[in-house]
Formats: sequence, structure tokens, C-alpha cells
Amino acid sequence: MTHAIDTSIYSAVTDAIRGEAQRILSEGQVSAVVGYAAARRKGSAQPIVINQADDAAKLIFTPACVNNLAVYLTKAKKEIPKTGKIGIVVKGCDLKALVGLMGESQLKRENLYLIGIPCAGVLASTIQPDKELTHDSIASKCRECDVHLPTGCDFLPSQQPGTPELEKRYAAEIARLETMTPAERWKYWKEQFSKCIKCYACRQVCPFCFCEQCLCDRNKPQMVETTPRPAGNFAWHVVRAMHLAGRCAGCAECERVCPMDIPLNLLNRKMAKELKELFEHEAGLEVNEKGPLASFSEKDDQSFIK
Amino acid sequence: MSRIGVFVCHCGENISRTVDVERVAAEVGTMPGVAFATDYKYMCSDPGQGLLKKAIQEQKLSHIVVAACSPRMHEKTFRKAAESAGLNPFLCEIANIREHCSWVHENREEATAKAVEIVGMMVERVKKNRVLPTITVPVTKRSLVIGGGIAGIQAALDIADAGHDVVLVEREPSIGGHMAQLSETFPTLDCSQCIMTPKMVDVVNHPKIKLYTYAEVEHVEGYIGNFQITIRKKARSVDEDKCTGCGLCMEKCPVRKIPNQFDCNLGLRPAIYVPFPQAVPNTPVIDREHCIKFKTGKCGLCQKICGPGAVDYEQEDTLIIEPVGAIVVATGFDLYSITEKPKGSSIKGYGEFGHGKIPDVIDGMTFERLASASGPTGGKILRPSDGQEPKQIVFIQCVGSRAREKGISYCSKICCMYTAKHTMLYKHKVHDGQAYVFFMDARVPGKSYDEFWRRAIEDEEAVYIRGMVSRLYQKGNKIVVMGSDISVGVQVEIEADMVVLATAVQPRTGADSLAQKLGISYDHYHFYSEAHAKLRPVECATAGIYLAGTCQGPKDIPDTVSQASAAAAKVMTLFAKDKLEREPIVAKVKEAGCVACFYCKKVCPYGAVEEKEIRDRQGNLIKVVAYVNPGVCGGCGTCQATCPSKSVELDGYTDEQIVAMIEAL
Repeated sequence: MTHAIDTSIYSAVTDAIRGEAQRILSEGQVSAVVGYAAARRKGSAQPIVINQADDAAKLIFTPACVNNLAVYLTKAKKEIPKTGKIGIVVKGCDLKALVGLMGESQLKRENLYLIGIPCAGVLASTIQPDKELTHDSIASKCRECDVHLPTGCDFLPSQQPGTPELEKRYAAEIARLETMTPAERWKYWKEQFSKCIKCYACRQVCPFCFCEQCLCDRNKPQMVETTPRPAGNFAWHVVRAMHLAGRCAGCAECERVCPMDIPLNLLNRKMAKELKELFEHEAGLEVNEKGPLASFSEKDDQSFIK
Repeated sequence: MSRIGVFVCHCGENISRTVDVERVAAEVGTMPGVAFATDYKYMCSDPGQGLLKKAIQEQKLSHIVVAACSPRMHEKTFRKAAESAGLNPFLCEIANIREHCSWVHENREEATAKAVEIVGMMVERVKKNRVLPTITVPVTKRSLVIGGGIAGIQAALDIADAGHDVVLVEREPSIGGHMAQLSETFPTLDCSQCIMTPKMVDVVNHPKIKLYTYAEVEHVEGYIGNFQITIRKKARSVDEDKCTGCGLCMEKCPVRKIPNQFDCNLGLRPAIYVPFPQAVPNTPVIDREHCIKFKTGKCGLCQKICGPGAVDYEQEDTLIIEPVGAIVVATGFDLYSITEKPKGSSIKGYGEFGHGKIPDVIDGMTFERLASASGPTGGKILRPSDGQEPKQIVFIQCVGSRAREKGISYCSKICCMYTAKHTMLYKHKVHDGQAYVFFMDARVPGKSYDEFWRRAIEDEEAVYIRGMVSRLYQKGNKIVVMGSDISVGVQVEIEADMVVLATAVQPRTGADSLAQKLGISYDHYHFYSEAHAKLRPVECATAGIYLAGTCQGPKDIPDTVSQASAAAAKVMTLFAKDKLEREPIVAKVKEAGCVACFYCKKVCPYGAVEEKEIRDRQGNLIKVVAYVNPGVCGGCGTCQATCPSKSVELDGYTDEQIVAMIEAL
């Protein structure tokens, strides 16, 4: 028996964001709004960029609005932020990514109009987009969410999402991995990474993979083998995990888009846990000018120096 | 096509003893791109360098690899030789087959194979080397001296006398340091104040010296020739420009019972005070912790009484930025404290000597204050407990020093001499008194030093007992000292009126954090490290920073003054040129890949990274990228390691070069 999660507020939230988008577009406060619209299949949703006030009625918010829209402000649509101040619909998890991008000089707060979402959670998979949001169908990231209500937004609908206490799957999985011996862990990840087909969907969808020339694509010298062989796969995923350490806030888009079901966000969460334990650093809703890996403190753990 | 020349050095026998150098040359000679390979007994010698120059010209070599000792030793030598033969110096690389190979291996076969690989790596690397032009940077001909003790004073005066501006920063309200606290100095017994104070006055009157007292170095940026120093001038609460030094405020201050640290807490001082009467500058400072005005908001007597209106309770710390070209570090020492050591400290205290709780067991500096004419007793040797003149006095040497089990294994160098001096001062002041000294060895080398020590024993009747003290304890108004005399093999017990412990010289507390600000290295005791123990004893490994005095290790006054003058001479050598030639090992940004995350800017310790706008011909902004100022870049490569897209590279250490080396293995 699976318990349903109350998403009744989503229709009111949809109305609120439509009204706000209509207002800011017609008043000329922003040149465009990035949000979600209904897609062709019943119940499905897709990202949309609107620049006419009339199109505000297209905006929706449903459990199928899984995408992290932050990616539309960096590499994917570089021209969007150039058009002036942009409105963007953000769930709490997406907002963390935006905040991270602000700390890395990719975005400026004053160029954004943040429309926050009171979010009870989204679906783990959009294969059946009209599926009811239940204790089973909810995304793993939503099970441990601490930002159902994003803070610091320019606009936030007043609805309060219901947030039932759910079993934390990442935390449980990390605990399981931590009990393994290094050899067992190595074996586990080797198996996971051996599945990788190097489609780089994880890179495309990640808001933090904003480099124009990924170092993994460089060939003079070649840093990472590009063919999907175990050694190159391992190198790619280790580079990815290291580059996200202290930056990734867990939107879990990489894991969602991976066609081979590699638990990518599990690795990201483990790295985040390490960073918290070692440097008391957490990627959150406050802009960090200097991440833990770009700064030195006398309190830093130096036990590795032997 | 490259024509690489490889020169394998025997280093006398240092390399050839373990490595078959002829075979290395022969094997390397067959590597692709190597046009010439040879070996020679001493490549760094004049004929060795001649061989290299001749080969460059005759063989038309495009790159060279010298397989020899560490590049720290002779990279400059060989690059210079290559340059004089018409090759860009950065087309010359060193393969270290001495420290990395012959010195650490014994098996000749394996060592030879490893040497071939090391040279092979450098051959592949040098193929990717590019011609790098030398960078010249201007030199700011001003010097910072940190610390206003005798070392800092001497260095500042020497540099200033040579015509260069000096910024002298002293943490305490007055310059003078430990030497100002001393009574008389060995080996001539001249009064410390008498020889010190004229120098202090010279400093304050010197037109080339800018003196900041009650100030600390807050932040250091830049590099040799071009440092930017942020100095925190602590709030003195007295305006130095207005104060005439009349001392009325100190007379009227109602708080009078604060232990005077300058007198080792024997005397008392008011809350507004100068540390000692001869202080330079003669401007008082308000001790805000004890001042009634700061504690309760009432009083304000000193402000009312001050004629020129110099007292300013509102004064705040100020930050001053001073550009300098060189830094002399002369921060001095702390004396080992005889009190109980905190738990977990690697240095253990002396419970057997009462942990400083027996009032008449004092340290050497306290004795100096008792013997000083300007001290709390006016130069009379009196016991702190009851003010009586001690008739039997015991001196114990090596307290803290040379006691590995207590945490310090070094010798503090000055104690043998100052204890001998103390016995003399005591005898001069208490004619019927008797001094005993427990000692391990007498370490008294130096001009007139042994004679001085002999004089203490032969003329001044100090009794020297070779052996250590196991325990001392209070018994009535006496202190019972139990020790051994190992020269005759008996236990000794002396009922003393006072005991003086010759405590160790230790680095300043916080010496490590200053070193981290300056980017200089220090040993595990936190004494600052010189670049070379024998050949570069006053320079730090960090260019443009020099050491003077006890911050580098225990020293007496003559040694300190010599080192301070030596450091000053080094500064003058630097200032003799208008421009410095810098190695062009600097980072460069590949603008196409840069995504302007500015992690490089965040991690750069030199502040060399700037933001640069790229615009098209119409002036439209295309993108913002990072730019490394080559004059400021220190070539550390931190940006290269941090850049997520590998869009910044250090010239001479590019990824291509490093990967070429790895692939050669």
C-alpha cells in the first residue's frame, strides 16, 4: 500500500506563477520567464521560455516538472541571459544551483527575478508523467529535501506544501557504502561505471558543467580517454565527482537523465557529506565567494600530510 | 626536428659510484630527437660548461638536458651556460640523477636503468619547451623591518644609512625588545640601556625611518621588489603627534597596581603608561583592559589633565598600506616559561622546580630586572617574597634547553654566558653572598667568552657544580636544592635563599602565523628557516625576505647584530639594481576555454589574476575572461591546478610537458 502525497496546492501555485509572470512581463520588469509548460503527452511537462505576457497562461507546476531550469541560464541557452533581466521558476533544489552559479561569477542576482515554488516533491521518473505522487513514486532527492519552501525569492506563492517524513534513501545507501571495505567499494563503483556509454547526458544537464571546453574533451594532451572503456569511464566519473565536490547541491538531474541508471547523485551526496565533515561546508542558499576547495584555513584537516 | 644534447655528469663519484654514466649517455643517445650525448666528470666545472657550450655550437643543438644534481643546485648555472652559447635558457632542463637516483639507491644495475628513465622523461619534456623571454620588474627601494629589538633596530639603521626608506613595525608600545630589559651585557659588562638607548633614539630621529609602534603586520601581498604590507596600528588612545611625553597622565592615573610586564611583573604601573622610562617613542598607551574609563565609562582623569589634549578614548585601530621591496624579519624570542605547561603541549614543564609557584625561584630575565639600575629594586638584589638580600643563591642551567624528554633538544646558546654574568653581578652587589651554579657543560666559545666564564669562577668565586638538580622545595624561608655533583659523584644539597633558572630561548608565540602571512618556512619549534644553513644564513627561501636575530634561532647580542647587518647588506644588494630580472615562469590564460568562474582569482596567493573584457571591433562585449599579470605572478601554479576547464597554464610546466614526461615512462 503506497501513501499518496498531497499535491493539491500545485494548481493554486500554477495560478500564482502565471499571475506573477504575466505581471512582470507586461510591466517590462523582465525580458523573459523560464518555466514549465504542459508537453504533448498527458500529464507531462517541459521547460519553456516565454517573452510575451500573453504566454504566461502556458506556465504550469505539476509533479512532472522535474527539470532544473538553472541550466537554461548557463551553457545551454547562453543567449537567454543576455537579453536582460530574466524571470525563472525555481524549486528549492534548483535555487541552490542558481546560488552556486552566482558564487562562481556565472550569474548576477540583480539580473534574475526568482519565482519560487512551494514544492512537496516531484516524480522520480517521467516515463509515466501523469502518475500520482506517492511515497514510492517521489524522487529520491525529494525524500531528503530541506528546501520545500525556497527562501530569498522575489516572489513566493503563499501555499504551504505538505511534507511527510520519508525514509532517506541516499543517506541509507551512503551508510551501506561506508561499511564496505575499500576493495568492495571499488568493485561496486567499477561495476556501476562499466555501464557508462559516455553519452555525457549527465554533463549536458548539470548546471555546474558550464565549461565551454570540457577538459575531458581535450586531446592535446588527452586527459581522459573518450571511448566508453572502463578506465576512461572511471576517469570521467571521478573528474566529474571531484569537480562537483562542494558545488553540487543535489538537484539529481544527472541521475535522472542517465540512460544506464548509474547512481550519480549517490556519489555527489557522498562527496557533499565529505565536504561537510572536513570543511563544514554545504552548498546551500547562501552565496559562497570562496568554496572550500579554493580556500585554505588553518583549521583544515591536515592529517593526510605524513 | 629537435636536436637535443644530453650531458651526463659524474658529480665526481657522487653519481658515477652508483650509476653507470657512460651507459646512460649511450642509451639516451639513441632516443629519438637526441643528437648528441656525452658524460663528464664535473659538468658544472669550467671545462664542463665549456664542453656544453662547444657542443651547442658545433652540433647545432636545439635543446639540452643536463643529467646531474638537483635543479635547485645548478639549473641557473647550466641555463646561463646555454644562454652564453646562444640558446634560450628555458630550452635547457635538468634531469636530477643525483638526489633522485644515485644518492638513494645502492644497486648499480637498477639505478642505471632508473637514471636512463629520468633522463628520457626530461628529453620528452624538453621537446615541448618553448622559448621564454625574461621578465623585468621594478624594485620598490623601501624596506620593511618587522620587530624593533636590537636586530630590527640595527637592520633598520643600516638600511636607512645607505639611503633607503625603512618602515619599522614594533608590536609593543616601545622599541627596544628584550635587550632593553637587560642589566649589563657580557662579556664586557657594559650597561645594556647605555648602549641600547642611543640606537633607539637614532631610529626615531632618522629621516629615512618610519616607525610604527604598537602595530602589527596584518597582511602581506606581492613578491620580491614589490610587496604590499598592511599594518594594523593598534589604538593607543593617545595621539602621538600631540603628546609631549610630559608624563602627567601617568602620575595622575588612579589605577596603579597593574604588574609591569617589562619588569617581569615585579614592579607596578598605571593603566596609562610607557613600558619603561627610556621608551621610544615616549608616548604613553592606555591599557584598555585595566583603564576605569574603558571599564565603567567614568574617570577620564588623564584626558582632563592632558595639556595638549592628546588623550583620545575614541581612537580606533587603523590599517596602513606600505609598499616595500624587501622584508627583514626580526621578531625575536620568548623566554621559556617556568609555569605549568598546558595539557597536551609537546613541551613539558618543570614540576620538580615548583612550576613557578615558589616566589623566590625566578628566571634569568627576572634576575636581570633585579640587577638593573632602572629595575623595580633600583638595582638591589632582593628576594621577591620578602625583599631580603639573598646570601646563598643557586643558578640552574639548561632549564628547558637540551632536554629532549622535556620537549626541546636544542641548546639556547646564551645561558652559560649570562649565568656566569649573573654570578658576577650578584657578587658585585652582595659581597658576602655565595653563588652556586649547576651546569651540564660550559658552552662558552667566542671572543673573550671563555676568559669571562673563567673570571666568574676564579675571581668572583662562583662555585660551579657539574650536575643537574633533581628537585627543589620550600623549607621555611629557604629553598632546598637537591642535586648531584657528577665530577666527584656525590649528592649535593644546598639551602638557598633564591634560585635562578636559566630558561630556554623559544620562538615567539604566534611565530607560525606570521610565517604563514609572509610565506616563509619554519622548523618544528617555529624558528624561521634560512635558505641554506651555511651559505645563505640570513635569507629565507622566499625571495626578498631576510632574517635577523633570534627569530631564526638562539643568539647572543653580537651574533644578532652581525646577522642584522648582514640582512641589511642583502637588502642593499637588492636595492642596488633598478630592475629585477624574473624567471618567466608565469601562468597564462587560454582565453578560448576560460569561462570566467574566477576560481584562479580566488586561489591566487599573489593577487595576480584580473578580470579582462574581450570586445569585438564595435566594442560589444563578447566575454569576460581571467588575465594573469605576469609582473605579479609568482609562478606557483595553483591556478593551473584549480582551473576546472584547464584554461590556465604555467609556462615551463604546461600539461603537455608533464604528460610528455609521464608518457615517457
